[in-house]
Amino acid sequence: MAKLKAISKRKILALAGISLSGTLVVAGCGSAATSGSSAPAKGNSAGGKNITITVYVGRYNADPKAQENLFKNTLIPEFEKANPGVHIKFSAWSTAAEENTSIQTSLATKQGPDIFELGSTLIPTAYATNGFHVFSQQDWNTLGGQKKFFPAQMTMSGPSPDKYIAVPEYMQPFGMVYNKKMFAAAGIKTPPKTWTEFVDDAKKMTNPSKDQWGTVIDPSDSFDPWKIGWGFTKQLGGDFISKDLKTATLDSKESINGLKFWFDWLTKYHIVSPNDLTYKAVDADKAFENGHVGMEIMRAPTMVPALSKSVVKNDYAFAPMPTIPYGMTTLPAGGVPTQTIVSGQYFCIPNYVTGARYQAVLKFLKFLTDVKQQQEFFKTYGYMPANLDAYQNDPELNTDLIKAFIDAEKNASPTPFTGAWGNLEVVYGGVASKIANEIATNSYKEADIANLLKAANAQVQSSLQQ
Amino acid sequence: MRETQVEPITSSAANTVSRVGPGVGKLQKRNSPPYWMMFPALLLLIIIVVAPFLVAVYTSFTKLDQYTIANWTHAPFVGWKNYVNAFTQGNALGASAIQSVWVSIAFSLLTTIGITPIGIIAALLVNKPFRGQRWVRAMFLIPYVMPIFVNAITWRLLFMNGWGLIDRILSALHLASKNTFWLIGPHSFWAMVIADIWSSWPFVYLMVLAGLQGISDDLYESAHMDGATPIRCFFSITLPSLRPILGLALLLSTLNHFNNFTLPFIMFGTPPAPQADVLPLNVYVTSFQTFNFGLGAAMSLLTLVLMMIPAFFYIRMLRLGEES
Repeated sequence: MAKLKAISKRKILALAGISLSGTLVVAGCGSAATSGSSAPAKGNSAGGKNITITVYVGRYNADPKAQENLFKNTLIPEFEKANPGVHIKFSAWSTAAEENTSIQTSLATKQGPDIFELGSTLIPTAYATNGFHVFSQQDWNTLGGQKKFFPAQMTMSGPSPDKYIAVPEYMQPFGMVYNKKMFAAAGIKTPPKTWTEFVDDAKKMTNPSKDQWGTVIDPSDSFDPWKIGWGFTKQLGGDFISKDLKTATLDSKESINGLKFWFDWLTKYHIVSPNDLTYKAVDADKAFENGHVGMEIMRAPTMVPALSKSVVKNDYAFAPMPTIPYGMTTLPAGGVPTQTIVSGQYFCIPNYVTGARYQAVLKFLKFLTDVKQQQEFFKTYGYMPANLDAYQNDPELNTDLIKAFIDAEKNASPTPFTGAWGNLEVVYGGVASKIANEIATNSYKEADIANLLKAANAQVQSSLQQ
Repeated sequence: MRETQVEPITSSAANTVSRVGPGVGKLQKRNSPPYWMMFPALLLLIIIVVAPFLVAVYTSFTKLDQYTIANWTHAPFVGWKNYVNAFTQGNALGASAIQSVWVSIAFSLLTTIGITPIGIIAALLVNKPFRGQRWVRAMFLIPYVMPIFVNAITWRLLFMNGWGLIDRILSALHLASKNTFWLIGPHSFWAMVIADIWSSWPFVYLMVLAGLQGISDDLYESAHMDGATPIRCFFSITLPSLRPILGLALLLSTLNHFNNFTLPFIMFGTPPAPQADVLPLNVYVTSFQTFNFGLGAAMSLLTLVLMMIPAFFYIRMLRLGEES
């Protein structure tokens, strides 16, 4: 009897162990199979009833509290009130690295946020994954139509209008910020229109003994070097990738001259501080904010909140960047008057979001890109609306500063729409960093730029050949 | 009552003796631990550790990138190509995995060598009671408890070219030019080592302090009576007594420094100077910035193999501790 009891106890324990294991397996499989948000959805039923949507955006680091308040206290309650049964969960990433990792993990596991906020130059990579919804005409009707947005912004939504995967959220055209006080002291009346004028003006403002420089560079930054180098290359008539998106052209004459011109500011014209070699974008901004720099290029209006609290709060202004290459009076053949890349943030919906949840997400994106909400974004953290109508009848969006950026947006050039663009950004950053290393250690030779770009080109080409 | 309590035991023992022979196997089987009860734990281990490891091994043989990530099980199989590329192909900066391995090894060894004497001296200083001892002990822990990103940002500012405090001090002392570059070029390696020594020496300090508490005062008293000097006491009593714990501390420290990603990532960002392109940073750039997950997985597995060497000694050391 005792033996029987012992066996039955063991059997019971065994059964318990197996059931526990089974539960774990089922739970594991269940969670892996669940599509959509990692947050528990309260019945993802048809008809949009009790659906929880997770929106994942970049944290507004200048004032995260303001961003959270805007979403949690204004936007989300308003949307949820108008759409009973749909609940919105807000979360934010702090760094691009965090964003990248989340996207990769979500696409591989087919679960994660329902809405991703992606930067314009990440959209081609996102498109290449085939992991995001391509919007149908019906989807665009739900979103309020493509004509709702700035035409230049739409060029980065997808490779062609029938293959758009991204809804413009806000735009961030670049311009040049300059120090009016330093301009006046140097006798400069208007911002330069050509790069020759730019260099001449910068020389007038440079005074190393006062730690005062005509302009600033940031070759140690992860992203600025390619943006600046690509702008120069386009103005010279070249590009980083051929029009058919099959051949990398980083080693072209225009590309080499473009990058060389940027480093010439230090090695040849001496209009930037040698300290800049270690600079990232934030360091370059600080140098301008502290009144050490006359002109800084490729800067967006998002810089304004920091500028308005800085030493130069009463002395700065924005202007379009020069478009005529150094030593020239007009654009060369094939040259494009690129003032800015098409820049901004977009919303994308992963493929694992389907059915009623997908329809609810579309509704929420329409809400976020409507005039009122777009103006709220601008008022809270200065992001320029991507919605054309948001600029009508809003005095705050009709200032000279904003108009300068809208003009720049009209001359914005989209970057080549290829899945290899993400690799290209990193590889080009590596080249700029290496050149900076060489200059800092006095081992720099002009020919190195061509050699390094040639090696970088081979790397980009290998990621193009898919 | 006592008898009745003892009796069953005795009879049980007698029964056991009488069953020597064919019944022993059954009894041993009945009394053997129920290993099958470990099944849930084993299953969890498989799900949490073995499965991801196998996925990493599989990934290292595929061309998993941005084009295949959404359907990763169908990524093209490329065999050993990723392993070959790991040694031969440079990343965005041209640094191959093998170059980064040397940077990481040098970084972890130098940092460990640097923190050891500092940690021992600090522990010896606060081991004897004195007024304000608690405050000093607490202060010594500041670098260790400070978040690593705060440390890294602070050191980045200190090492800034021209206007950073390091350049200014060196210039004032006529030891180096005011324009010495620390965040790019060959000096970036030393900047990384210095910053890491500052933030991690309290680890050795804590371990040694714990070890010092275990040394009996009698040993020192005897030595003192025999006329031993404090230096002789240190080398003949303190250091030999600390040897096991110090060995463990140095091993763990080497492993930690080899895997340090946050400090160089924040101090230099990406791309870092090639001289500061430690292996974890190289793997990160390869995997998550250039989207070459297959190559990144191969590099990670090579890292794992390398880390197994000190890990082997670590496990061996723990076993020795158990035996003693």
